[in-house]
Amino acid sequence: MKRRNFLISAAAISAGVTLMPRMTFAAEGVIDVYFTSDQNVIDFWTNVVKPKFEAANSGITLNLVDGGDGPGVAAIGDRALAALASGADPQADVFEGYDTRVNAGAIDKGLFVDFSAAGLSNYSKINPLANDIPTRLPYRGSQVLLAYDTTKLDPANVPKTWADLVAWIKANPGQFIYNRPNKGGSGGNFVRRAIFEANGNDPKKFTVDNFTPEFAEEALTPAWAMLNDLAPSLFESGAYTSGNTQSLQLLGQSAVTMIPAWSDQALSAIQQGVLPETTGLVQLQDLGLPGGFTYIAVLSNGANKDAALKLADFLLTEEIQSAILTELGGFPGVSWDYVAADLRERFADIIPESIPTFPGGKWETAINDGWYRAVAPNVDPAS
Amino acid sequence: MTSIEAGALAPAPTQRKRPIGLLLVAVPVLLVLWLIIWPIISAVIQTLWLPAPDGGRTLSVSSYEFFVSDPYSRANLAITLWTTGVCAVLLLVICLPIALYLRFSNSKIAAYVQGLAIFPMFVPSIILSFAFIRVLGPNGTVDLLLNSVGLPKIKSPYLTPWGPVIGLVWDNIPLTVLILLSGLGNVSNQAIEAARDVGAGRFALLWHIILPRISNSILVAISFAVLGIFSAFTLPYVLGPAAPEMMGPFMQRTFRDLFDPTNAITQAVITFGFCIVFGLFYVRSVAKNRTP
Repeated sequence: MKRRNFLISAAAISAGVTLMPRMTFAAEGVIDVYFTSDQNVIDFWTNVVKPKFEAANSGITLNLVDGGDGPGVAAIGDRALAALASGADPQADVFEGYDTRVNAGAIDKGLFVDFSAAGLSNYSKINPLANDIPTRLPYRGSQVLLAYDTTKLDPANVPKTWADLVAWIKANPGQFIYNRPNKGGSGGNFVRRAIFEANGNDPKKFTVDNFTPEFAEEALTPAWAMLNDLAPSLFESGAYTSGNTQSLQLLGQSAVTMIPAWSDQALSAIQQGVLPETTGLVQLQDLGLPGGFTYIAVLSNGANKDAALKLADFLLTEEIQSAILTELGGFPGVSWDYVAADLRERFADIIPESIPTFPGGKWETAINDGWYRAVAPNVDPAS
Repeated sequence: MTSIEAGALAPAPTQRKRPIGLLLVAVPVLLVLWLIIWPIISAVIQTLWLPAPDGGRTLSVSSYEFFVSDPYSRANLAITLWTTGVCAVLLLVICLPIALYLRFSNSKIAAYVQGLAIFPMFVPSIILSFAFIRVLGPNGTVDLLLNSVGLPKIKSPYLTPWGPVIGLVWDNIPLTVLILLSGLGNVSNQAIEAARDVGAGRFALLWHIILPRISNSILVAISFAVLGIFSAFTLPYVLGPAAPEMMGPFMQRTFRDLFDPTNAITQAVITFGFCIVFGLFYVRSVAKNRTP
């Protein structure tokens, strides 16, 4: 009896203990990389970056973690910031596709490595168009463009300006859809292109620092009117998909004729057969749909900081930068002089002179909230 | 182990069992207190004890006032109630006949029907969502089948409020069928046969004999379904319209995309308020069954 009682109590206690939070530590020589990007980017890392880097640096391995999206990784950033204050291990080393500004006060406290002072051998190769703040290292670019079904729309008649696009959408009701701006960059940047259009097509008008509620009201209201005007001509008289992938799916099912899509995602989708080979891609010529460069950040208090900096430097090598063009369908983060010469020639037509970008920070919140309140509800729930 | 020790431990088994029993339930109870009860209390405090303009904190119901006065938030609550109500009715209409069939059929087919009814339990909702778009979405499988026999396409429920309704009903069929089936176990064959002997028709059987005996199970089944549906996230997010949103996606968006924890928690507390009503139904019916 005594032994059985002991066993029962011991089992209960050990069961309780296993449920309690445990202290864990980052493994030595394993770089934890958290991603905000979509699956195609993580696939690129798994198939290209990881094997090449591990082959070149024996003893170091990459642990690739899908952080979901920006706010998902921002939560890891908050944890790292708390770890910095208490001197604990943040259990993370690299953030991919990350804006280091989102963790309040993190840059001032030195949470992120300043790349300009980190002594990376390839740092000088970075495309000046891409340079942001020194805690963010651009390693690839991508831009939203229009993907369309060439069997339904002759490439000769495809809209090339915003005005043409609006005219085409209205002339072909139900054939265009974009996703909710907070659920993926393809719809998000389509909405931002509308904001540029409503404000004189001048991307310089918007910066992270010039956000005020009054200016936002003044700049966004005409854009909402413009998008509301489009709504009845959209798919199902104003439906919006809940992500980049769902838009691609509707184009793939031939339910719509045209969608905004990320260049890299559309190219991978065509390669994998998710989109048919008859899919055409086009960019607006008056002002392109926005896009931008994708940045990585390295935590200064990560257990594998030195290895992570090696990885950052490795990303800027010609080998990886050329692979971003050929394997991922993105743009290089370095200047075009630093990719293989044959690739430079092959992609000459899509080398952007500038990629319009829209600032994040408070603008992002204002756009997300404003769009949901002003544009989205115009769907009649009964329709 | 000496005999003296053994002798000292042996008497009064009822008294000795009690601390062991309490120890065994202590872990789950503490976990519930720590992971569920405490977050609820802290959420309610956070939404009432708001930062004041002078830097301190003060008791205020302003975040609730905002929710009530904001037509957008109210529309989201309304669509959530609508979806939950419609789903509950549809679930009952669909699952009661299945459960009755499974209870009273002796055929071999019943086993397959049961397997089919339980199947949705093993399909993750994100996979269900994308399968839904493939099948019921525009130019999906249903459209292709209709088209092949010369019929017009369906009006796709994808991205309308009916999208989440269809998905959620499908997802909740197994649990509802299982609960109703266990309730039907209380209906004895003798009672049915006795009623038949005195000439009761099928409808009279259902109304006077079966339903009164399983009313408790129906209540439990509906409570469970409602609790799950009210706070559903994936299906309304992928299949539903951009606006109005159900409370699940709305809370998540307020918290993660608008960086507005106070309003997100307020929405959560309001959602919790509705859910606890159904939770109490469930607790009451369990308690009622336990009292002799």
